[in-house]
Amino acid sequence: MSYAFPDALVSTNWVKENLKSPAVRIVEVDVDTKQYGAGHVPGAVAFNWNTQLQDQINRDIISKDDFEKLLSSAGIKPTDTIVLYGDNNNWFAAYGFWLFKYYGHADVRLMNGGRSKWLAEDDKPLTADVVAFAKSDYKITAINADLRAKVPQVLEAIATRNSNLIDVRSTDEFTGKIIAPPGMTETAQRAGHVPGAKSVPWAQTVNQDGTFKSVDDLRALYKTAGLIEGKPTIAYCRIGERSSHTWFVLKYLLGVQDCKNYDGSWTEYGNLIGAPIERS
Amino acid sequence: MSANLSTRVFDSVFEMLPNEANPSPLVRINTLHPLAAEIAAGTSTFELFAKLEWMNPFGSVKDRAASYLIRELEAKGAIWPDKADKKGRGIVEPTSGNTGISLAAMASVKGVHMRAIVPEKVPEEKKVMLRIAGADVDVLTDAMCPSPGMGEGALGMARSYAKAQGDRYVMPNQYENHANVQAHIDTTGPEIWRQTGGKITHFFTSLGTCGTVTGVATFLKAKNKNIKIIAVQPSAGHDVPGIRNKDELHVTKLFDASLIDEIIEVPFEKAYTSALGLCQREGLFAGPSSGLIFEGARMVLQRDKPAQGLGVAIFCDNVFKYISSMTKHLPALAGEP
Repeated sequence: MSYAFPDALVSTNWVKENLKSPAVRIVEVDVDTKQYGAGHVPGAVAFNWNTQLQDQINRDIISKDDFEKLLSSAGIKPTDTIVLYGDNNNWFAAYGFWLFKYYGHADVRLMNGGRSKWLAEDDKPLTADVVAFAKSDYKITAINADLRAKVPQVLEAIATRNSNLIDVRSTDEFTGKIIAPPGMTETAQRAGHVPGAKSVPWAQTVNQDGTFKSVDDLRALYKTAGLIEGKPTIAYCRIGERSSHTWFVLKYLLGVQDCKNYDGSWTEYGNLIGAPIERS
Repeated sequence: MSANLSTRVFDSVFEMLPNEANPSPLVRINTLHPLAAEIAAGTSTFELFAKLEWMNPFGSVKDRAASYLIRELEAKGAIWPDKADKKGRGIVEPTSGNTGISLAAMASVKGVHMRAIVPEKVPEEKKVMLRIAGADVDVLTDAMCPSPGMGEGALGMARSYAKAQGDRYVMPNQYENHANVQAHIDTTGPEIWRQTGGKITHFFTSLGTCGTVTGVATFLKAKNKNIKIIAVQPSAGHDVPGIRNKDELHVTKLFDASLIDEIIEVPFEKAYTSALGLCQREGLFAGPSSGLIFEGARMVLQRDKPAQGLGVAIFCDNVFKYISSMTKHLPALAGEP
């Protein structure tokens, strides 16, 4: 059995074969952008998750205008095939994937195994050279707002039980033993999880080398966790990037039609006055 | 003039590197001896010694591995300084500090550049020491989201430099390079055997790259298979720079469980209190990893109460590079209430 949308996931070999294809644009999104500077996939541009994909004043995703400017400055066109990859099992690359889809880019793909797999394969070239692409005039024509969950949708899901809620954080964060992993600057006032959420830590969706597990394994994983097929689903974590990874798994590998990423995640929900919290 | 070990006059700092003829010191543990009561009661004659690796020229046990790694790269013609007609090729290495400091110091003397990739949690003193030793330092952050145990960050970035800029950098890779183990087979092991007159019964060390434990155990077990090799690990989620819990060992290829008789876990906070005790009661200015190893030795010896024998504990480096770590875990040291 194959993934629901197999084209959304490309192998490192596919990327190597398409390095010279002008319609394929490669974008690296890392936790720490120094990684890109040390070496990257030839022709890749880097987007900084913190400073380029987030609004710098309001806590929000980058605005439509700023996203258009960012893609125009990188010379990306709406017809391009975008391949995203990054470090830490593609967490931030998956967030980039979600954002491209949110802003309606048609052809977006994730490189299976991310940066570490590319690095580990001897036949995959790496360069420190940065290509200067001619600017484009990128225009967003449609926004897929249904890919994003905000607080009202989460509260509605709690009240009506009309959606699966998936918490992809560590078990200790889910049970409320800790608010956030040690040393994290973004945190919350309260520990625990959204009432009714199922705990499926993101790491359970990948193999040792960071590639995604088979469709059968993924299906079994969420079935065991109590995910009800056919129901709308909302994924969340702490700051919205690991949940993007799970959102990708659910929507593009398993084909969950109505699947949202709650990017506000626990750093929003765990700070809300009056929001119900479960601990267990 | 060649090194005169009796007068300790050397032609260069490289001659100070330790070996069987010029070993790092063994110092007897007296006041804090874990079996002091048994010794006083006449029921044990067990001797315990600390091997002071901070007496090595660049300040840590890592001088041994680093000198072997550099020697190997030089022998292969893999590194060279800048020349009039050819840009230099230097070293890039992921390090928690000590290997980088040793590599950078030795590389600098040879005119070879060095880039150290360090995790953010490495103490500031070590980052500054790396720069003092001549290294370019990249500090990797995982502050936005932690990825415990994934082993990607620093290692991946060093690999990136070596792969993308192979004309400028080579990565010795202390986590996979057997030269790291060989250094201890050739030097640390024979030193201990000679210094103890072959009487050693217990060897205590920590786990990191595992070059020390694998190399010393290989040598000592060949001499006497009954010598107990005890690895001391900090509790999970620890904050002791430079060493690893066994769950973090997937990044190294030098770990050989068959050579280790016991892995004992110590609550990591003990590394700091134990180091402080060694400083204040033995006059041994031990850093936290030495404190952890000593605490492991204490637990084993008080549990087993051997009637006789001789133990050697590796004291990896001294406390001077860990002032910020010590004050973080023991705030009273900063004069705070």
